[in-house]
Amino acid sequence: MSSLPTSVLVVDDEAALRKALRTSLVASGFTVEEARSGEEALEAVRHQAFDLVLLDINMPGLDGFDACKRIRSVSPQSGIVMVTVKDFEEDKVRALEAGADDYVTKPFRLRELTARLRAVLRRIQPPADPETVRAGDLELDLKRRILLRNRQEVHLAPKEFDLLAFMMQHMDAPLRHVTLLHSIWGPEYGNELEYLRAYVRILRKKIEKNPAEPEYILTEPWLGYRFRNPSDPDSSPLPTDD
Amino acid sequence: MKRASSISLRQSLEYALAGSVVTGLLTLLCFKLGLGLSVAGPAYLLTVVLQSLTGDFLSAALVSCLAAGCLDYFFVEPLFTFRITRLSDLFALLSFLVTALVITQLVSRLRIEIRFTKAQKERLDHLYQLSQQLLRLDPDTSEERFLEPFHRLFGVTAITLFDGQTGETRIAGGSRNRLAERTRDAYIAGLDSYDGAAGVSVRCLQLGSKVSGAIGFESLEDPEETVGPLAALTSAHFEKMRAFRTASAASAAAQAEVYRSAILDALAHEFKTPLATILAAAGGIREAGALGPEQSEMADTVESEAERLGRLTSRLLRVARLDREEIRPRIEVIDADLVVRHMADQYSRRFPDREIAVAHRGQEQEESADPELLRLAVSQLLDNACKYSPPGSKVCIALDHNPDGFVIEVSNSGSSIPASEQRLIFERFYRGSGTKQHTAGTGLGLYVARKIALAHSGSLYLVPPEVNEAANGAANEFANEAANGHAVTFRLKIPSPQPRPDHVVTTH
Repeated sequence: MSSLPTSVLVVDDEAALRKALRTSLVASGFTVEEARSGEEALEAVRHQAFDLVLLDINMPGLDGFDACKRIRSVSPQSGIVMVTVKDFEEDKVRALEAGADDYVTKPFRLRELTARLRAVLRRIQPPADPETVRAGDLELDLKRRILLRNRQEVHLAPKEFDLLAFMMQHMDAPLRHVTLLHSIWGPEYGNELEYLRAYVRILRKKIEKNPAEPEYILTEPWLGYRFRNPSDPDSSPLPTDD
Repeated sequence: MKRASSISLRQSLEYALAGSVVTGLLTLLCFKLGLGLSVAGPAYLLTVVLQSLTGDFLSAALVSCLAAGCLDYFFVEPLFTFRITRLSDLFALLSFLVTALVITQLVSRLRIEIRFTKAQKERLDHLYQLSQQLLRLDPDTSEERFLEPFHRLFGVTAITLFDGQTGETRIAGGSRNRLAERTRDAYIAGLDSYDGAAGVSVRCLQLGSKVSGAIGFESLEDPEETVGPLAALTSAHFEKMRAFRTASAASAAAQAEVYRSAILDALAHEFKTPLATILAAAGGIREAGALGPEQSEMADTVESEAERLGRLTSRLLRVARLDREEIRPRIEVIDADLVVRHMADQYSRRFPDREIAVAHRGQEQEESADPELLRLAVSQLLDNACKYSPPGSKVCIALDHNPDGFVIEVSNSGSSIPASEQRLIFERFYRGSGTKQHTAGTGLGLYVARKIALAHSGSLYLVPPEVNEAANGAANEFANEAANGHAVTFRLKIPSPQPRPDHVVTTH
């Protein structure tokens, strides 16, 4: 993280939530501005460049998706995290299509939120040395196309390497099936989920301690996958459900 | 509408009287002028023809006979007597009489034909007008307005339609002669009926060889002629009204679904935003630091409970959605053993005073199902098993792999479902009679779980105690209780999807 505190614009029509988020995010080391609507948020990003925008989807007036598109065009360098109440895929897909970097589903723990925010921030400020990517006990050498696990080389077929490299370079980002298929197999692919699932199964066998309970390659239900760094406390927590 | 042969006897006699006066005057005229039989005969014939044109057959026949008598009396030798001495006179008189009667007969038959045709045309006209007016009526017209053209054109005072399928009776107008009952009776007997005294005509409506309903009219004019076409027209219109009502009910239902969905979205927002606020505030209190271990633990409790409430809300809303929507599973390859183990762990944490045992049977293999939906269905079964069993009891979940798919059985002891309720538990909103006031639930769980099973072409059912007793594994744990009716086992079967060409994945 840079030496200056990270600035966050919290956009929500609910005053109590804005206040709680402001207090808590400030206590967690962010500087916070508030906006009560999509329109106010646009006005704010025109006057000040924010590192991050936390944007609610359900707002009267300009809704979150439209607000996201416009903020993106005004302030392309800001990371945008959208807040949804529905755990259905449509909202998540729409959020990503509108240009959001990630999403959180209400209600979320403060730690989950700050982890998401920091991960987005890291992604939009790429590291100086992109030749190796590390996560947990994995080390991926992009130049020599080698994967080391506990310093032992793991053999990967070319497509396996491409898929893993893409996921590790987009660590913590939600990756849609179609995005992965386009990026690894080419633009003419998009519906071949079977391919993707087969490769993810192979990769999990090679990198996970217990492929049945993955720590690295998490499934985002109905959406795709998310690569996480298990040794990073800020990385996405393992999913829990009821 | 007038009857075709509706001239009364009195009218006939009046016509006959008028004809007789004319004949008398003609006789007087011919006699004074001293005209002979050759002139008087055709003159009388002309009178008879005119008479038959204005009157009817009876009056014309009477006038014919009178004219024949006058001819004989005043113009045939010997005069002033009805005697006839010459054979030629007899022939002349007889041919006059026959000609007159034939003409009379022909003309009156023609008149009847004309009158009948006119009446027919009038009736067709009325039927046409009626059908035009019925077509113009909106399908949601009130019964009163519907009756109005029938009343005006055909004198009908009441109409009833009995729908044989629904047993529903629709009536327009007020009946004084039990029209509705008669119509229903005609449907039951399958026979048309006509009661001239009450003015009630009832027709059964045929749909192919089946009687689909009956229609009744009261005070219908010319019932024998009109009831058939009127029945056809009316039932067509009622059909149209019914189709319209069905269609509006369907569109109202669709609209209600839209509202329902909007309400669910609003509910999600209304519940989850305050929970998000609580979590953000609790997290903030912790981040602010300076909390003793006890306060820190309390902040933890606030967080975990708010989170749990959030998950419960999500699940409730998801179930509410699946309740009405068509479920389209997204089948993928899953590790069913892992799902079962996870769910068992979760419920062990949530119900620490239940012992949840997991059993795996059969050769472990990859299965196909929608993982989200499967978890929802299994969680519903575990939820019920934990809720309805006494503390300290054992709950078993068993997974059985077989070549056709997999079976998950969830059993608990210490409770039972009365035989009378076993069919009902899968109904929407059904909650068992023994359900305690404090047992949380929506009455949707098993309904939705079964819906999920069916969407996978599988099944979910309650295992009967006798089968339960004979079964292995999980159910066997409770064999004794099952035999005594004190254990419950649900069986969820998910078959493998239909075989299809496999994607051969090669790494290169």
